[in-house]
Amino acid sequence: MSVPLRDATVATVRRVVLWVPDWPVVAAMAQAGIGVDAPAAVLHGKGMLAVSAAARAAGVRRGMRKRMAQRACPELTILSHDEGRDAREFEAVAAAAENVVSGVEISRPGLLMIPSEGAARFHGSEEALAEALVTRVVEDAGYESSVGIADGLLAAVMAARANSLIQRGQSHDFLAPLPVDTLVHATMERTQRAEVEALVSVLVRLGLTRLGDFTALPSADVMARFGQVGAWAQRMARGEDVAPPVLRRAEGDIAVEYVFEEPAERIEQLAFVAVHVAGQLDAALLAAASRCARVRIGARTVTGDELVRVWRTDVGSRSGAFTKHMADRVRWQLEGWLSGTGAGTGTASPQPAPLTALTLTAEDVVPLGAEQSFLWGGTSGADARAHRAMERLQGLLGPEGVLAVSEQGGRTPRDRVHALAWGQEGEPARRVSHPWPGRVPDPAPATVLASPVEIHVLDAGGSPVRVDRRLAVSAPPTWVRLQADPADRVARAAHRHPSSGHVGGSDGPVWAAPLPVEAWAGPWPIVERWWSSEASRRAFLQVALRDDAGNSGPALLIALHEGRWMLEAVYD
Amino acid sequence: METQGTRLAAARAALRAVETRMGADRKATEGPLLELDDALVPLLPRGLRKGQVIAVEGSTSLVLALVARASLDGAWTAMVGMPNVGMLAAARRGIDLARVALIPYPGVQAPATLGVCIDDMDVVMVGQGLAISDADRRRLAARARESGCVVVAMGRWPGAHVQLTVDGARWAGLGAGEGRLRERDMTVAITGRSTGPARRVVVCLDVDTQSVRRGATVRRAALEDRALGTGAA
Repeated sequence: MSVPLRDATVATVRRVVLWVPDWPVVAAMAQAGIGVDAPAAVLHGKGMLAVSAAARAAGVRRGMRKRMAQRACPELTILSHDEGRDAREFEAVAAAAENVVSGVEISRPGLLMIPSEGAARFHGSEEALAEALVTRVVEDAGYESSVGIADGLLAAVMAARANSLIQRGQSHDFLAPLPVDTLVHATMERTQRAEVEALVSVLVRLGLTRLGDFTALPSADVMARFGQVGAWAQRMARGEDVAPPVLRRAEGDIAVEYVFEEPAERIEQLAFVAVHVAGQLDAALLAAASRCARVRIGARTVTGDELVRVWRTDVGSRSGAFTKHMADRVRWQLEGWLSGTGAGTGTASPQPAPLTALTLTAEDVVPLGAEQSFLWGGTSGADARAHRAMERLQGLLGPEGVLAVSEQGGRTPRDRVHALAWGQEGEPARRVSHPWPGRVPDPAPATVLASPVEIHVLDAGGSPVRVDRRLAVSAPPTWVRLQADPADRVARAAHRHPSSGHVGGSDGPVWAAPLPVEAWAGPWPIVERWWSSEASRRAFLQVALRDDAGNSGPALLIALHEGRWMLEAVYD
Repeated sequence: METQGTRLAAARAALRAVETRMGADRKATEGPLLELDDALVPLLPRGLRKGQVIAVEGSTSLVLALVARASLDGAWTAMVGMPNVGMLAAARRGIDLARVALIPYPGVQAPATLGVCIDDMDVVMVGQGLAISDADRRRLAARARESGCVVVAMGRWPGAHVQLTVDGARWAGLGAGEGRLRERDMTVAITGRSTGPARRVVVCLDVDTQSVRRGATVRRAALEDRALGTGAA
């Protein structure tokens, strides 16, 4: 079973691997400003993660405890582990390699992978390509690296470690005499690494110490005994992995920046800038022959605040009108920031301040013609028409005049809705998937007052109903007094009458006649965000009323907040 | 034997023949339909016709329920002048919030806003207290007929094709300090331009699925009890 499999030719991608030895420590030393010949090590958890060449010569090894390492080499510099720094610093190496080849895959910080075919043809030979890569990385990024070329991933990685070039078809023979623990070098993630290390320890205990011994096993038996990890390891050891490198996108976001000569605080100044900047972005997108799905508008104020908002846009469908469309959005945004009204929903809005710089960044940039349509066909004519209509209305009513809503997590009906200006991108503040214990039960009320209105909840004797700290109601609510409609003349006249308890005009609200309570439930406590400034303690009550004629009337959701009953929502 | 039924059928056939000959077929003048929720079919047995104006008085839930099925089927919906609408209730009724535009305060631009919405959206819900005159309403109704947009207005709308007035709602599930609102029956009076005197229909808008399930289990438990009882006897 194994023989035909091994002899079958599997077309693997021939690849170049560029490897910078001991990358975590090299990156950390470069950032800390330590010379490359100094002994240093990166400590992660209990052991050393990476060791510099000088430290290794002094006897420090990977995985050694801190105390042991310091005993072996007292002048050792110990640096902290930071995955973000590793990835960031490696960007320079990737950029240097991209000067030689068109696209690279960063397998992990410290290891680059490049398909060799086209690049080797371009540079003349594989040796020339390797030389060009090493030279360019030293010159541009300042790091020593080694390059290996082979079929298959593991062979290429091991070739890079040996700084050698394996001829086509020789990968299997190259790998066969190597110890099985070299399999670990083909792993790119920590979890995968742990799995493979477990597999390697089993193999060694079974007496399989060379990769050649392991690959000689029938693959069906390996699959049965070791599962997916075993099958993956055997494919790797045979040099039969077929997954091609995933090349990263070389072009970055397209951005346009405008710095004001003196801080701008009047909207008249900004209107021209908005058109100018939007035109520049349009031209930049056109020059790059690409289109974008979103535009991020950012501004800096004199106080040093960064204001950012993202707008969804679709350049492709508005070929000539993009400048105008974008200029409108930039102007709205700047107006909002300058007046301090529309600055960010949910977050604490910064003080309005003059602006010093304006940046437009095109995000989700794709080459023209490469955009992906929806799975079930493109956007219909009705969708495009509705979007255009809403954008026209935004021009008429202002950006906040048209809202798009989505559901978010929360306990009260008002908290559970997230509204944003149409076309603006933003995450709901709270997740729906969280449990939200104690939320007001379904069905949801169809009318939720934008701002709660005070009402009176009275017991049979006409005194206000209270709820104490232990959520005991002082008496069953019997009467509810709503605020009267301002157009209701009868209620206004009754309010002016001396029998209402005050003489002459009173500025207080006009109350309607009390309505009897038919049934009620509660109180349901909702105590939220006690740690922040928006803390609230409320007790909710559902009340079904009877109307004047004795029929059953509306059902209300009311809340006791700081000693006052507020009408929150109506189930109408 | 000529009965009343056969005479009626013959008269209808003759009328239809004349209509088709004169080109006054009623089917041709009436717009296509939008889907309606099953529970609401008794209210509008002829369906939610495109280009119609429907006025609903006394219930926001009924407005949301009327358009829910159409929105689920892909219709674009605008809510104009409804700052207090509970969007969570709209979502629970089946309205797809991704295709809803909320225009809470159109202000003095209300006629222009409604005009844009009626031209380009499939369903427009209109709140109360907007600054639109009766002449505006007539003009908007004409535009809706032309563009095939369904206008569902809260409150009165002179000249509406159908006027639904909620006479009363009865909630179930609430007790004296316990329970919660569960189910609601609503009595709706229907008057229309082309129908006779007001018809009254009771619709069940909120059905509590949990209580239905519990009722079923209770019933099944009772059946099992009886079976056990007979077995023991």
